Amino acid sequence: MLSGADISKSFFGVPALRNVSFDLRAGEVHALMGENGAGKSTLMKIFSGVEPNYSGVIRNDGREVRFASVRDAEAAGVAIIHQELNLVPELNVAENIFLGREPLLAGLIVNRRRAVADARALLHRLGIDLDPETRIGTLRVGEQQLVEIAKALSASARILIMDEPTSALSPAECQRLFAIIRQLASAGVAIIYISHRIQEVMLLADRVTVLRDGRHVLTELIAALTEERIIAAMVGRESLGAVPESHGAAGRVFLSVRDLSLDVPTRRGWRKVLKGVSFDVHEGEIFGIGGLLGSGRTEILETIFGSSIGRRGGDIRLDGKLVSIASPRDARRLGLAMVTEDRKAKGLHLHATVRDNIALPSLRDLARFGLRSFAREARLADHEVRALGIRCTGIGQIAGTLSGGNQQKVVIAKWLATQPRVLLLDEPTRGIDVGAKQEIYELVRRLAGQGLAIVLVSSELPELLLLADRILVVSEGWQRGVLGRDAASEEAIMRLAAPQTRTDSAGAA
Amino acid sequence: MRILRLLSRTKLYWGLALIFLIGMVSSPVTSKGSNIFLSYGNLLDVLRQVSITGLIATGMTGVILTAGIDLSVGSLMAICSVVCAMLLTMPGWTASAVMAVPSFALVALIVAVALVRFAIHNFARGAAPEASPAKAIPHPKNHRVLTAMAGLLAAAAALAFTLPQVESRFGTWGVLLVTPCVGLLFGAINGIIIVAGRLQPFIVTLAMMVTALGIARLTAGQNNAVLPVYTGSNATADFDVLRSLVFGIFPVPGLFFIAAALVYGAVLRFTPFGRYVYAIGGNEEAARLSGINVGRVKIVTYAISGMLAGIAAVLFVAQYRQGKPDAGAGLELDAIAAVVIGGTSLMGGRGGLAGTFCGVLIFGLLSNILQLHNINSNLQLVLKGLIIIGTVLVQERNLGELLSNLRFGTPRSAPKEPAAHNGPPTESFSRQLGGSAHDTW
Repeated sequence: MLSGADISKSFFGVPALRNVSFDLRAGEVHALMGENGAGKSTLMKIFSGVEPNYSGVIRNDGREVRFASVRDAEAAGVAIIHQELNLVPELNVAENIFLGREPLLAGLIVNRRRAVADARALLHRLGIDLDPETRIGTLRVGEQQLVEIAKALSASARILIMDEPTSALSPAECQRLFAIIRQLASAGVAIIYISHRIQEVMLLADRVTVLRDGRHVLTELIAALTEERIIAAMVGRESLGAVPESHGAAGRVFLSVRDLSLDVPTRRGWRKVLKGVSFDVHEGEIFGIGGLLGSGRTEILETIFGSSIGRRGGDIRLDGKLVSIASPRDARRLGLAMVTEDRKAKGLHLHATVRDNIALPSLRDLARFGLRSFAREARLADHEVRALGIRCTGIGQIAGTLSGGNQQKVVIAKWLATQPRVLLLDEPTRGIDVGAKQEIYELVRRLAGQGLAIVLVSSELPELLLLADRILVVSEGWQRGVLGRDAASEEAIMRLAAPQTRTDSAGAA
Repeated sequence: MRILRLLSRTKLYWGLALIFLIGMVSSPVTSKGSNIFLSYGNLLDVLRQVSITGLIATGMTGVILTAGIDLSVGSLMAICSVVCAMLLTMPGWTASAVMAVPSFALVALIVAVALVRFAIHNFARGAAPEASPAKAIPHPKNHRVLTAMAGLLAAAAALAFTLPQVESRFGTWGVLLVTPCVGLLFGAINGIIIVAGRLQPFIVTLAMMVTALGIARLTAGQNNAVLPVYTGSNATADFDVLRSLVFGIFPVPGLFFIAAALVYGAVLRFTPFGRYVYAIGGNEEAARLSGINVGRVKIVTYAISGMLAGIAAVLFVAQYRQGKPDAGAGLELDAIAAVVIGGTSLMGGRGGLAGTFCGVLIFGLLSNILQLHNINSNLQLVLKGLIIIGTVLVQERNLGELLSNLRFGTPRSAPKEPAAHNGPPTESFSRQLGGSAHDTW
């Protein structure tokens, strides 16, 4: 259906793709895999007309084509759904679906009724249960993803490129998405599916193509592959090493949280987001928090760190002493550190150098008599870069040009530089590749071994099970239970995480 | 590549050099054959003319670096010019004195408290080893009595200095110290409203622009919209110092501008505060989560902007021998234009005072060249507008990109490590290749 042969592309003399070939058949789900920097995004940008300069040949239904713009690609039936969603939160579902292609009355006025009716029909056809008149901003990420798909298909796309669509979805939402993808494929739509999650690909894809360092490594039917072979193809080495064993919750209780609550202001008064969350974290312990998206996982960390917006309640004790944390500034002073979920929006200064990023929270401590000490800043950054194995051309490299995994390490480094006692990690491996994930895991374990109290929020259950000594499960802001290492399993977590009609809170830690 | 980069990085100075060259070549010549543009008197005039705009633009740079904007500076300068002129010429508790004396005392108090806290912070930690964590710092609360005493003492000293002058009339030092404090407080009010009310800087400073103009007119009184200052007759004679030349070679206003740019530039470069300004403009949320007191930093940038407007006002009064409520009309836009020509991004986090300095000079030289050619003043405005657009175009597209457009026909710059991450790498790289001549965050 769509195929590319010998596609090469380089940026300022640095090759990003070298003679890559790729073909797509009607009705198949074709997974495209590779570590960050392997060239997946570049290839997809070429296929979707975002990147019009390349060498090589693209054929669409056998005819040679060259997409000069996104519009060209759309006209040929290629649609791309980016990892960051492109929806207007202020508009409703129907308006978003037909944005730029509104049905008109007399060629002038937007025919709102028709837009809504068409959108409803389209959503119904896809089996998506959404009211076309709800505002996008009120939908959950998973639902927004479905709207993106509907939008792409309303433009009669025959080829759908999806870039990590599940990175923000709960397991249930993933299942729903997979069902819709399968349904589309059986209707003849060809789907290119980019993902880091191997299990997902094994479940969903018909064929897999793996890229590494801009080169094509393999294209194979999924039936002929195993997880290990895919990983090996991606990282260029055999399976991952094991994560060092935990030495368990050894130390005394360091962080103690009682009756944590959070009320968020809305137009109609206060909405309860967290209620009665209580737990203890020991020195050297990795304390996991699991739950669905929107269950209040992130809010627990933000509330402890003093960065959540709204009315905060509850007691936080550090090393037995009651503390009041009104802002991230207080938290930092008390030795807390938080690595945020969204590192680009909240964690990093992308245009600043690695050095400036790492030194930022410590600037005041590094300064001598009110003047910055560039030497100390550089020494600190150098030290952290080496300690964490951050791969960069030097501490002067711009943070935004690092790979995802290394960006994440910079965020962790800037907090470790403040010598924290408590480390709050929110989705520390979101959107980073397998090799870097492994390194982050090892790092987290090492830090726990050094006596830090670590709280880890993750939506990837295998990650939680691998790292956490105990796992707290939240659902709809309530604490559902704490699972010890032996009691924890994906099933046990999911059972607790599922929304319930009951409104009591389960036992504390 | 390396040469390109160097060219890119220094393009501001090239721009300045270019405009200088144009001025030199196109300059009319006197009957004796000497170049008017290059004459010492002419260049001094340029410096004198740009000083007021320059001071305002200096303060504006800090604000814009935090991704804010300050539209009120013109009006703040107007208030301050009225205050300054009244203090100089009218004895007793005029509206100006009522405003200025408490302002001065309050600012003295705040500055003293800040200085004492700073001293405690540093002496307590001076001996600590390099990598010691923040916990070693004693909380400033422990020294409340000391700081309070210092603050009150400073306020008392301020009153002791000013009260006698209210009875007679203010001297040069008096207005030079007191007037900027009025501006500073108005600026701080801007900042406090923006931070506490979580409002857009544009709206808040727009409101302040209108309000301050009103206050300036009320202060000046209805009948005398212009307050003349005749040094030697109705005001102290040594106020003329502010419009003279130092050692007969350098205009005093220029000295103020250069000093302000140097000091603020050093603050932005060499202090944590400066880095916070860039960090807030670059990514406010990340800055907040890094434990930076974002609100305080913002308030300080607006306060400094107001203070520099106050200093500019004193120079204005000295220069034009009057204070008037419409002194600063349109000045905020000139200042913003100079900042932007200097390569500071209105989105914040990128640029710096070196750029603003060049921007102000480019603007000033341009006016001068147009004047030397006797170009119709309305036509001058049109040309200036076009040149702003032209310069900013060159600023925003970096040189490498422009050249690559010519040479290779590639339409946009591209990331160095294209697929290294999923974000928008294009921007970061173009910035790296010389989006600006100086600091970037």
